[in-house]
Amino acid sequence: MTQFPPEGYGPVASQVAGIEIFAPAPKTPEAAPDVVDFKCPRCQATTAYSVEDGGLRCAHCGYYEPPATSTVGKGAQEFEFTVTTVSAARQAQGWGTERRELHCEHCGAQTSLPQGDLTHTCPFCGSNQVMQLESPQDQLRPRFLVPFKVEPGDCQKIAREWLGSSWMTPQALKRSTRVADFTGVYMPYWTFDAQSAADWRAEVGHQVTERYYDSSSKSWKTRIKIVWRWESGHAQRTFDDLLIPGTTRFSKVLLERMQTFDTKALVPYAPSYLAGLLAHAYDVALEPAWKTSREEMRAATQQTCRGQASTGEIRNFSMSLDFSDESWRYVLVPVYVAAYQYDGETYQVLVNGQTGDVAGQRPVDWTKVWLAVGGMLAPGVLLGLFGVLASVLEVVLPPSLAVGAFVIVFAFILLIMGIVFAALTIIKAREMDDV
Amino acid sequence: MMSESTLVSGWGAPRIPLICNQCDWRYLVLVDAVPTACPHCASPEIEALAPGTAQFPYVAAPELIILFAAGAEVVSRQVAAFAEEIPVPPEGLSAEALLGSVQRLFVPMWLVDADAESLWQAEVGFDYEVVSHRERYADGGGWQTQEVRESRARWEPRVGRLARHYDNIAAPALTSHQALERVLGGYDLRAAVRYDPAALADALVRVPDRTPEAAWPDAQVGVRRRAQDECREAAGADHVRDFRWSPSYSGNNWTLLLLPLYVTHYRDDEGVAQRILLNGQTGQLYGVKRGSAARAQRRALIIGATSLVIFALSLMVALLGLLLPPLLIVGILGAVLALLIGAGALIPIGRVALFNRRQRDIPVEV
Repeated sequence: MTQFPPEGYGPVASQVAGIEIFAPAPKTPEAAPDVVDFKCPRCQATTAYSVEDGGLRCAHCGYYEPPATSTVGKGAQEFEFTVTTVSAARQAQGWGTERRELHCEHCGAQTSLPQGDLTHTCPFCGSNQVMQLESPQDQLRPRFLVPFKVEPGDCQKIAREWLGSSWMTPQALKRSTRVADFTGVYMPYWTFDAQSAADWRAEVGHQVTERYYDSSSKSWKTRIKIVWRWESGHAQRTFDDLLIPGTTRFSKVLLERMQTFDTKALVPYAPSYLAGLLAHAYDVALEPAWKTSREEMRAATQQTCRGQASTGEIRNFSMSLDFSDESWRYVLVPVYVAAYQYDGETYQVLVNGQTGDVAGQRPVDWTKVWLAVGGMLAPGVLLGLFGVLASVLEVVLPPSLAVGAFVIVFAFILLIMGIVFAALTIIKAREMDDV
Repeated sequence: MMSESTLVSGWGAPRIPLICNQCDWRYLVLVDAVPTACPHCASPEIEALAPGTAQFPYVAAPELIILFAAGAEVVSRQVAAFAEEIPVPPEGLSAEALLGSVQRLFVPMWLVDADAESLWQAEVGFDYEVVSHRERYADGGGWQTQEVRESRARWEPRVGRLARHYDNIAAPALTSHQALERVLGGYDLRAAVRYDPAALADALVRVPDRTPEAAWPDAQVGVRRRAQDECREAAGADHVRDFRWSPSYSGNNWTLLLLPLYVTHYRDDEGVAQRILLNGQTGQLYGVKRGSAARAQRRALIIGATSLVIFALSLMVALLGLLLPPLLIVGILGAVLALLIGAGALIPIGRVALFNRRQRDIPVEV
């Protein structure tokens, strides 16, 4: 040892007399103020995070401050489900009081904030503030986030294209609807990693053709029979950064449709990323989110197990599954949120702030849908009628019987196809309408 | 035969230093219980020497002693089991004979007290638990989830300074100590008590044949092990690894610890004494088992001679069969029986030969 104690080491308590102990000094986080107020150091105007520049920008004098942290991606620290963490997370079912009073350092105004809001723009002076909420454990603070990449100005274009992308929406929607300004929101998500190892057993059905003697017809015939055989196997899956929403403020269906965040872009949390944007703390705690992720993981593992069976005919399926190397992160992801009015109703649109993927509610023009369904069924019905007519004409024109029979068969096939397409169309329309 | 100058004091009753000129084992024995033969090799070539001679530099009374915990019942059971396993044993190899010649012996270990000072560094491990899950699924029964807890260790670096006094670090005082431990198992040194001359009674005591200087490297290993454990304890940790230090020692003080041992022996065909040792604490036995080839040959000869007599009688009966035909069959059967018995004469020889060959893998020198 060239230097004793080594640099960065400090004394710690020893439980044996005559033995001194030095340990690496814990990294004491800089005493973060409860509220960070973003002011331009040059002109004292309010600064905000600029998606275009990737840092703080003063709209007044053009002052630019680059981001304080660099991308860590998938190397972002993950946490184990220690007993301590799990019990702390159980206690932290929320973020404290229902609403909190915030005193604006800039203009002195007193504002009331709802629970879970991490950012605030003072309605009196427009200054951007980021709250550093207390947490029962440091790990339960947002430690990483995916910064915004899509600029707010692009969201209108994305939304308009999306509104007009489906024929099921009303004709006037794209033309006359004005989507309100998009608001950038950092939404809380949990990421989960795990490995699953499963042993499965099931009876798998195999089709065999057998000959048998039919006593009624007094002849040998063939029939298909299913023979069940027991099969078993072992499957392993690795799950990396499975994203589970930590919020109930938005429709689960919409979030699932937009959930294509790339965790390779994760950066360590810094308040400056949140300046001028909205941000929410989680209201779905770690444990329920973990339960949801396990349900997804076990469903995927079950699918893998079933896929190993030699045929798709399976019964009496059973499996045992062990999870290992489970870990989690609490992250914030970028989403643009907007609403629009159509025919007196309010609809929500979300744009993924990293990829530009869009998900939202759109009205369905059911008249168009039913017309389309009618169009799909019409060829089969009309052709069928023609076939019947041709068959009837057989009395006066004998060859038309054969033509009629052929047309009826063809019409039947067309009708079946029409029914399938119509059903798919209705299902899709209902999905769009139910969001 | 023995003068006052040959007596060793400080052990309670006066003892005489003895050396076996055959196997070089050195003992201290009670004045009135001098053995006629070496308890190790059974050689009668034992000689009394003066204390402080080159062969007996260390005859100071011990500091600690481990008492015999394996009693007579354990010894009887172990020796009887040993004797029973030998096919055609040599003359005198019986449980009774072995028990009749059992002697109690104490073998020495060095104990050193030392002050150690050093800087140290290590990785210390703290146990913690993580929560995981095990799931079961069955068609019709759905999923059943079971929470499981797994223990893991979190490793952290630590450095420090140590200035400690270490008492009674044990180190071998006999060159054969490791071999003894290998065949008899280790001793639980925590059972050591302060030396009491009454505990020795008439037992023999071996004296060290290793100097403290020679035993010091072994003692240092023990000091290091204890220091490592103390550093773990000082850090409040559950584990320690990669312990490194460069200690300086002072104030070394050497004393002795006595370990209990039973010894007995038997003589094989060549008259060589085969020793049997028992750990006096655990009762673990070590001894080389030798079947007697000479006795096996004697048995084979008796069986062979018996078969020859039967064969000769059968031949005579067969000759009489020329006059009285039914006797011919009796003669033939007798001859076959004689041949079978003659073949059986090989069995004792073969058993002993095979048994003795299997014993070769056992280490002999202790």
